[in-house]
Amino acid sequence: MNMASVQSTTTSVPTPIASSSAESAGAREEKVSVRNLNFYYGNNKALKNVNVPLYTGLVTAFIGPSGCGKSTLLRILNRIYDLYPNQRAEGEVLIDKKNILAPDQDINYLRARVGMVFQKPTPFPMSIYENIAFGIRLYERLPKSELDGRVESALRRGALWEEVKNKLSANGLSLSGGQQQRLCIARTVAVRPEVILLDEPCSALDPISTAKIEELIDELKSDYTIAIVTHNMQQAARVSDYTAFMYLGELVEFDATSKMFTSPVDSRTQDYITGRFG
Amino acid sequence: MADLYRSRRRRNTIVLGLSIGATVIGLSWLAWILGTLLWEGLSGLSLQVFTEMTPPPGSDGGLLNPIIGSLMLTGLAVAVGTPIGILAGTYMAEYGRYAKLSMVVRFINDILLSAPSIVVGLFVYEVMVAPMGHFSGYAGAVALSLLVIPVVVRTTEDMLVLVPKELREAASALGMPRSKVIQKVSYRAARAGMITGVLLAVARISGETAPLLFTALNNQFFSTNLNAPIASLPVIIFQFALSPYHDWQRLAWIGALIITLAVLALSIIARALSAGSNKG
Repeated sequence: MNMASVQSTTTSVPTPIASSSAESAGAREEKVSVRNLNFYYGNNKALKNVNVPLYTGLVTAFIGPSGCGKSTLLRILNRIYDLYPNQRAEGEVLIDKKNILAPDQDINYLRARVGMVFQKPTPFPMSIYENIAFGIRLYERLPKSELDGRVESALRRGALWEEVKNKLSANGLSLSGGQQQRLCIARTVAVRPEVILLDEPCSALDPISTAKIEELIDELKSDYTIAIVTHNMQQAARVSDYTAFMYLGELVEFDATSKMFTSPVDSRTQDYITGRFG
Repeated sequence: MADLYRSRRRRNTIVLGLSIGATVIGLSWLAWILGTLLWEGLSGLSLQVFTEMTPPPGSDGGLLNPIIGSLMLTGLAVAVGTPIGILAGTYMAEYGRYAKLSMVVRFINDILLSAPSIVVGLFVYEVMVAPMGHFSGYAGAVALSLLVIPVVVRTTEDMLVLVPKELREAASALGMPRSKVIQKVSYRAARAGMITGVLLAVARISGETAPLLFTALNNQFFSTNLNAPIASLPVIIFQFALSPYHDWQRLAWIGALIITLAVLALSIIARALSAGSNKG
């Protein structure tokens, strides 16, 4: 599948997902469609005419050398770049066919639908329980018992419940790095987003924590559309259904992960995957 | 090689000796001040000091009116200065971090931070005391709050800037509106430092005499009327210490001791708070 064929599927009528396996090709529903996207840090153009889809219920990995624009692309999808002046995006990012770059887009609502987990674990300076409950309370008024249930289920989804169930009132910062990152994933899941963006979620973690988070991603993808930026190509190969290779702000190649890692079309992709540069 | 090493050792010994010497000299002055204060002040410290008013020369009395006056002036100054300082600091660190206005405010604030307090006193005299036609506790509190604001602005901004931007991004990424991010996440992360800033501001103004001389003036009688001249510890110390009367001088020592102990206590609380927050 090359870029042109990907583009052609974007216009197809939404179809139910037949299976979550990438190998069963065919028309897939695009949860997110990035179209002709350019991005600027001041006068510095960081993304050049990027086109890429995120398919509903699948994991899309973004790989490429440092500074190629992977994280930048992710930070556009929930418009977190909006926090900073001098950063601007041009083009279209469609989520459920609606352009989220449009000026009338409610940014806070967008961010509730598109969750994000960052490279460094970022628990809030409050209890484990509050870390989760906080996000839920932003959008829903729930009685205490129901809130408790939501916190528990989020922590279970974050594969953290067993480790913290007896110390929910402990400070989130008292957890280990791996636990903190799972807390952040649980916090993101608790808000019930539709899309989850993972920006190098394992780069600060040890191999055991990394394995736990990879398992978690695999479980989460049945309910969410996931995009993950990673420097680790084994990780991309393990967790993703589709892979996008970016280089110098351009999207060089996008394809099913299995194909991408066995027979990439572009020579730059091949060089990167085989470790010849980057 | 061995020579080089020996001379390096020698130099290390000399610098170490000088450093220890400087530390000892610095600390001994402080110890001397505290020692004199304790020596002169403790002997007279009694319950009477806190229950009786300042006496006329030659009779018994205490420091009740200046203690109450100082508490009222300081309390009002902090109550006025803290919200202004915190809001301004919040603007500079959160909303207007990249704005030109913040740079201007920061520059002016730094000047205000190091402005001689007597200038602040004269300024308030000019804009409040002269038009009102009389000295007043309000004018004193305004003068003190002008000293509180720059300290609180500075510490609030510094502490909020230290909050990692990742934390703000993470909170925003949950769909949290800006105002909530600031209240629930930034303030929480910076809380200990911000409280420390307020305590330091209290410590700074509780010993200020110059701005009160032109504003709150003084009062030998018990008064809680802020619209009239009101007594305060620093001004009473100034007046009594310069007087020729022995019992007034003794009360000045006691007043100085009370201020010093209060400031010491505030500093210890501030230190404990910031140490607590570092441990997470």
